[in-house]
Amino acid sequence: MKPATAERLRAALPAGSVLTEREDLKPYECDGLSAYRETPLAAVLPSDEAQVAAILKVARETKTPVVARGSGTGLSGGALPLADGILMSMAKFNRVIDVSAASRQARVQPGVTNLRISQHVGALGLYYAPDPSSQIACSIGGNVAENSGGVHCLKYGLTVHNVARVRAMTIEGDVVELGCEGLDAPGYDLLALAHGSEGLLAITLEVTVKLLPKPESAQVVMASFPDVESAGEAVANVIGAGIVPAGLEMMDKLATRAVEDFVHAGYDLEAEAILLAESDGTREDVEHETGKMIEVMRASGATDIRCSQSEAERLRFWSGRKAAFPAVGRISPDYYCIDGSIPRGALANVLKRTGEFCERYSLRCANVFHAGDGNLHPLILYDANVPGELERTEKFAADLLELCIEMGGTITGEHGVGIEKINQMCSQFRPAELAQFRAVKAAFDPEGLLNPGKMVPTLHRCAEYGAMRVKGGALPHPDLPRF
Amino acid sequence: MNAVAKPDVRAQVLSELRAIPSLAVICDDEGLKPFETDAFISHRETPMLAALPETEAEVQAIVRACRRLGVPVVSRGAGTGISGGAIPRRDGVLLVLSKMRRILEVDPKARTAVVEPGVRNLQVSEAAAPYGLFYAPDPSSQLVCSIGGNVAENSGGVHCLKYGLTTHNVLAVRVVDADGDILETGSLALDAPGYDLLAVITGSEGNLGVITRVVTRLVALPERTETLLAAFPNVRQAAEAVGEIIGAGIIPAALEMMDRIVIEACERFMKMGFPPGAEALLLAEVDGGHEEAEASLAAVRAVLERCGATEVRVAADEGERERLWRARKGAFTALATILPDYYTIDGTIPRRCLPEVLEHVFALAAEYGLTVGNVFHAGDGNIHPCIFYDSSKPGDLEKSEEFGGRILERCVEVGGTITGEHGVGLEKLKQMCVQFRAPELAAFHAVKGAFDPDGILNPGKAVPTLKRCAEWGGMHVHHGQVPRPDIPRF
Repeated sequence: MKPATAERLRAALPAGSVLTEREDLKPYECDGLSAYRETPLAAVLPSDEAQVAAILKVARETKTPVVARGSGTGLSGGALPLADGILMSMAKFNRVIDVSAASRQARVQPGVTNLRISQHVGALGLYYAPDPSSQIACSIGGNVAENSGGVHCLKYGLTVHNVARVRAMTIEGDVVELGCEGLDAPGYDLLALAHGSEGLLAITLEVTVKLLPKPESAQVVMASFPDVESAGEAVANVIGAGIVPAGLEMMDKLATRAVEDFVHAGYDLEAEAILLAESDGTREDVEHETGKMIEVMRASGATDIRCSQSEAERLRFWSGRKAAFPAVGRISPDYYCIDGSIPRGALANVLKRTGEFCERYSLRCANVFHAGDGNLHPLILYDANVPGELERTEKFAADLLELCIEMGGTITGEHGVGIEKINQMCSQFRPAELAQFRAVKAAFDPEGLLNPGKMVPTLHRCAEYGAMRVKGGALPHPDLPRF
Repeated sequence: MNAVAKPDVRAQVLSELRAIPSLAVICDDEGLKPFETDAFISHRETPMLAALPETEAEVQAIVRACRRLGVPVVSRGAGTGISGGAIPRRDGVLLVLSKMRRILEVDPKARTAVVEPGVRNLQVSEAAAPYGLFYAPDPSSQLVCSIGGNVAENSGGVHCLKYGLTTHNVLAVRVVDADGDILETGSLALDAPGYDLLAVITGSEGNLGVITRVVTRLVALPERTETLLAAFPNVRQAAEAVGEIIGAGIIPAALEMMDRIVIEACERFMKMGFPPGAEALLLAEVDGGHEEAEASLAAVRAVLERCGATEVRVAADEGERERLWRARKGAFTALATILPDYYTIDGTIPRRCLPEVLEHVFALAAEYGLTVGNVFHAGDGNIHPCIFYDSSKPGDLEKSEEFGGRILERCVEVGGTITGEHGVGLEKLKQMCVQFRAPELAAFHAVKGAFDPDGILNPGKAVPTLKRCAEWGGMHVHHGQVPRPDIPRF
């Protein structure tokens, strides 16, 4: 069956669009979650809709699974190939189709990179708001598949809030148009359903994004705190005061010290935690909002507060935050990045408990994260060469994600489930909800040919993982409301 | 589609429901009378039975009994919906959620409220007011409409231009599915893993589950609110001003438009003292911090003047603000003084198409020899043309319906939709065949089947069958051809 599938793909596509040689397939064997690798049966690079339809036809007729791939920057293994499957790279779908300044929308193909959209419409004074750290490289199709966030999503929303329409192809080869240019589309909200569906429901062919006017000005407030709990409180207080900063990020001392050695961002190294809060808008708005944030932070116990006085200084303050992960890589041989989210009000408590976990497992943990969203990224530092450290790290991570769920949060903030967190889905959801996810999957893809084995675990897998304890019908924390 | 249930089925359902301790069940004709329609009053039907649960466990028991017996279930909130989404079936149970009306929690720090589905929209804001917060979506019926109904219809309102629809203001929803199981959708955190079932439930018109609990987002009350009224010498300039305001990067809290027919009706009915001779009025509201509201006020005023407003008034105080809004909210009542009947259309278009579509509406009015008045959410591109007719004149109703249909088709042609905020329900099933192609309708049916395989939840509403579309001629499914295949269908 293997050669037959490849042969049929070659017959259906232009020369050079089907890769089957081992060395040609190498670049496609993993995405940003490089711990998992797999060589696909074939990699295909379609350049138009008819070719996508032809590939899906081969997949249907030979019952071969298809994994779609954008730029391969995903961190949860959503684009990890299957050994018996086709990997479909959307890289050739790289055109900006049209831009309408009047309706502030741009229609682009899925392989266009996130940053290129903003560059393309920059001359019109517009930009595309969601900005994952990988925005230079990541594709808009991948952003839709993962419902990506970024530093600015606190104020401007996730990908789903910034997309008006998606044109997609179902496994049957039918083209569906989801969403609309107007306020709201009738019928079930399939546009939202497509967002974050990690390539399991349909193949994205075109994305109409919403554009925003570039803010007139922006300023960053940097505040120092004597402990992480009070910094966590300050975050809740800023939001509680009715302020929605453009970004609200937190770093603890371990992180700031690592960063300062690396990029010299000018951070306060005596502070146990710092907050970076950005305000953007008209000059008056920024001045007013910055004043209010300073007031709240002072009342929440900030020991030192500085405001960026120039665009250069603003960028320098952010440079430390953006370089935090590589900087932490310099102080520890290995680290494990957790991605969980919690209601903001629980921040102080979760940070305190994280400190307790550090003691329990005798491991260090650096905190650098999207505090305003309650999206945690604890970096657990370990040395894979020390026997037992990786195992302790994994237990630490599992405890932290369980804590997120216990606090009413979730096991992923913005990196998706993919293959990485498929077991944690068993803790996050009850059997009825998992059954519903599977029913939705089957409604679009009854034979399970699109990215099978990702995101939604089988009940069998959950039973094996044991986290759900299906036998007794009892869940971890049965008393908790699950949202 | 609405067969009378066999007497033995009815007796069986009744005995099963009566077996649920303390559940209120209504089965006599007089008792059922108030439930025979919602606000889409041209359609009426007496349900087989009505059940009024007070707890989620009762809802589960009712759904399970109905599923077992194959009896349809129609959920109803406050019955203010205007597309017939809560119209009962003679062979089905009407599930009235008005007794589930507790506000369970208001958390000012997280800025959330946890409420049962029967809680009225305005009640949420009232409960949040002591903390300086409010629940933003404000349908005109907010005094009576329920949150559960708002979620079912994804309701909007005057302020959704800035603050979003219900779907943007709800964080989590608990539903009882067709199996009687509880599904928790959404989360209190930024984003939930898995498919976005919350968004699918929102606006699903009772087709996918019964809503039993809603966590809403709460927003800080603005420090300052300013309301402006601008008069224009013609509709086109007013419509262009709408595009210019949004294009200037300003998002007003509200941006509403009225044309001369409506202005004159309001003037006669409420003695508003509107600028005389205006062909169109724009009512704009800006809010925020003091500086922000001040800056937006100046910016909006400048755009209005540049776009040819002959007069711009700013409400001097709260009293004047309220008076202006009363005119807007009372407009539909005032319109009833023009002719015995009118038919309100609800469609949306991309904002940039406003001037052109409004001119098309007037041209159609001339063609049909009917009068049309416009009062609508201009900022959202959500148009509400009101077609006036006299039902006692033979042919008038038919003409107005055809006129309405052509307006909605125009909405679809320019990339808009056949409903802005009123839902599909029974009213717009036919237009769904114009709006969507067969693969999209098939995807809707597949989703419905994934939630409700036996089709017992509000069957026959919101999504037409492909067969129906073919019968209506709205879609030629047999040949894979749709009307105007060249236009993008979004």
